[in-house]
Amino acid sequence: MLKFIVKKLLQMIPMLLLISFIVFVGLQFTGIDPIYYMISPDMAANTDNIEALRELYGFNDPLLVRYFRWLGDLLQGNFGYSIVSGSSIKTLIAQRLPATLELSAFALVLSTIIGITIGIVSAIKQNGIIDYIGRVFAVVGQAIPQFFFGISMILIFAIKLGWFPTAGRMSPEGVGFGDRLWHLVLPGMTLTLSMCAVLMRYARNTMLGVLNSDYIKTARSKGIPEWKVYLKHGFRNAMRPVLVILCFRLPMLIGGSVVIEEVFAWPGIGTILTQAVVSGDYPVILVTTLMVAAAMLVASFLVDVLTALLDPRVRIGE
Amino acid sequence: MDNKDIILDVKKLNTSFVSDKKETKIIKDVSFQVKRGKTLAIVGESGCGKSVTVHSIVKLMPRNARVRAKKVQYNALKDGAVTEYSLDKMEAYGKEMRKLRGPEIGMVFQDPMSSLNPVYRVGDQVAEGLIEHEHISKAEARKRVLDMFKKLGIPDPEQRINDYPHQFSGGMKQRVVIAIAMISNPELLIADEPTTALDVTIQAQIMELMKKLQVEDGKSIILITHNMGLVAEMADEVCVMYMGRVVEFGTLEDIFEHTSHPYTKALLRSVPVLDMEDGEELETIPGITPNPADLKEGCEFADRCSECMERCRKGTIPAYEVSPGHRVRCLKYDKFPEVD
Repeated sequence: MLKFIVKKLLQMIPMLLLISFIVFVGLQFTGIDPIYYMISPDMAANTDNIEALRELYGFNDPLLVRYFRWLGDLLQGNFGYSIVSGSSIKTLIAQRLPATLELSAFALVLSTIIGITIGIVSAIKQNGIIDYIGRVFAVVGQAIPQFFFGISMILIFAIKLGWFPTAGRMSPEGVGFGDRLWHLVLPGMTLTLSMCAVLMRYARNTMLGVLNSDYIKTARSKGIPEWKVYLKHGFRNAMRPVLVILCFRLPMLIGGSVVIEEVFAWPGIGTILTQAVVSGDYPVILVTTLMVAAAMLVASFLVDVLTALLDPRVRIGE
Repeated sequence: MDNKDIILDVKKLNTSFVSDKKETKIIKDVSFQVKRGKTLAIVGESGCGKSVTVHSIVKLMPRNARVRAKKVQYNALKDGAVTEYSLDKMEAYGKEMRKLRGPEIGMVFQDPMSSLNPVYRVGDQVAEGLIEHEHISKAEARKRVLDMFKKLGIPDPEQRINDYPHQFSGGMKQRVVIAIAMISNPELLIADEPTTALDVTIQAQIMELMKKLQVEDGKSIILITHNMGLVAEMADEVCVMYMGRVVEFGTLEDIFEHTSHPYTKALLRSVPVLDMEDGEELETIPGITPNPADLKEGCEFADRCSECMERCRKGTIPAYEVSPGHRVRCLKYDKFPEVD
């Protein structure tokens, strides 16, 4: 098992390099000329100025040179500077990451618990009342776009009922856990509900499939109680595919949810990314994209390890 | 004959499946008895309801099944005293039924490949029922599992007890499935085509094993099969089914020597035997089994029967007792007394 883990970890290095290269090169083709974002329009009339700036920032060097320069900086922990605000990207991320982590972790944990529980119960009591409500909810949850859902939540719970704040992460005067949580509820629940839908359907369907399999019949023929049939024999087998979805949601912890953060003015990574794209702040785009990609790789590594732990058949090729 | 000699008594078992709000009858008025210490073979071609019959009895049915019966009675014999259990009145997964599954009734299923849970070690899967019913320690259970593995001829049992199902071959997997069924030492073993998925040499081994366990411990077996050779070897009594009905029931001798129902005759003629002439063709039963959803009235076999008469296509055909214990559901024998 250890050998398996080390092997998978080592495989991540070339993957990361490849991704960084693709992201870097890809961004060159978008046609964004950062120079125009850096200078005022009247300065742009003077092409000499522009050329001088290009030379200064090394934009005229060959692609590979620029790539390796950027990569070298990155490996030394120098993430570069935003060309819009001029602030260090590292500081920017350090400021925003906690907000994103907070929101995403809240939604991730809550949606996992709710989604899997309802999904499994729906499968066990197929065509029961919970199954019916769950199915309607899953369709609605998937059909309604997040932004619309978010705005509706604000309209109902913040503006009409006044229970929660309309946006932001904390009140200017408010400090402490209670205030944070109060701000977290609306964006957190919006994200949770939209994430629940997929998980619920998935958990229900895999569990249904498992419950129809022959080994469940064998388990029942032993005369063990039903809860053991469901939890010991059913749940563990049904969880393998569900776990894959869960793991691939982990990058969200870093990347955040662009739509939800935007709707609720949540100061997270998602907001940085949208701002960076809008303003052509390509060093920021590069770093955030790479971070999400790295998180994706970690997620897929986790999938490999967890499936191997859950399913002995995967361990054959060790 | 009293309850001491009869381990399972099934009367007028009816099973239907509901789909799209339409109910399709699969099992119709099936009645039979299993004698203690004997083997009953249930035979018939694919789709005749053999499996559904036994699954209905032990209540391991999908949700859309409706099972009705006049009587499904299991008689447990302990220290000379009989305890009667009415399986038809029990809840499928309730406490009463669960207490019987394992210690009283063991089940071996058709497909060993999918009958074992892929994520647990085989030893733990066999021990599970034992621990559940006898509340013994894990170490004790392991010892019992080892003994069972040895009895079933699984080589290197100390090692293999820790293996996962995918590390076993088909024949070995079926031994594990049999071990699960036998570990709690049940009085009645229900084997649903236990060897269909295995190759012929393994088939013989597995059947010998079951026969040996039965003879040594005086167990009763219900064997479901479509292999007539196996029936001749194993069975004391035979129940021939066609389209969800028992068409003929009798002792092994009744069925093989005094074959009465045209379907049973056709079934026996279609079994290849060693002394066939060169160029002699094996007989087949003409036509196909009808769809249970659009069966007409009368005898289900009428359309494929060479001896079909006009009145075979009307009403429900009763069973006639042609000799004591030998029942045939065919109008050719209507001079004999009618039985349930």
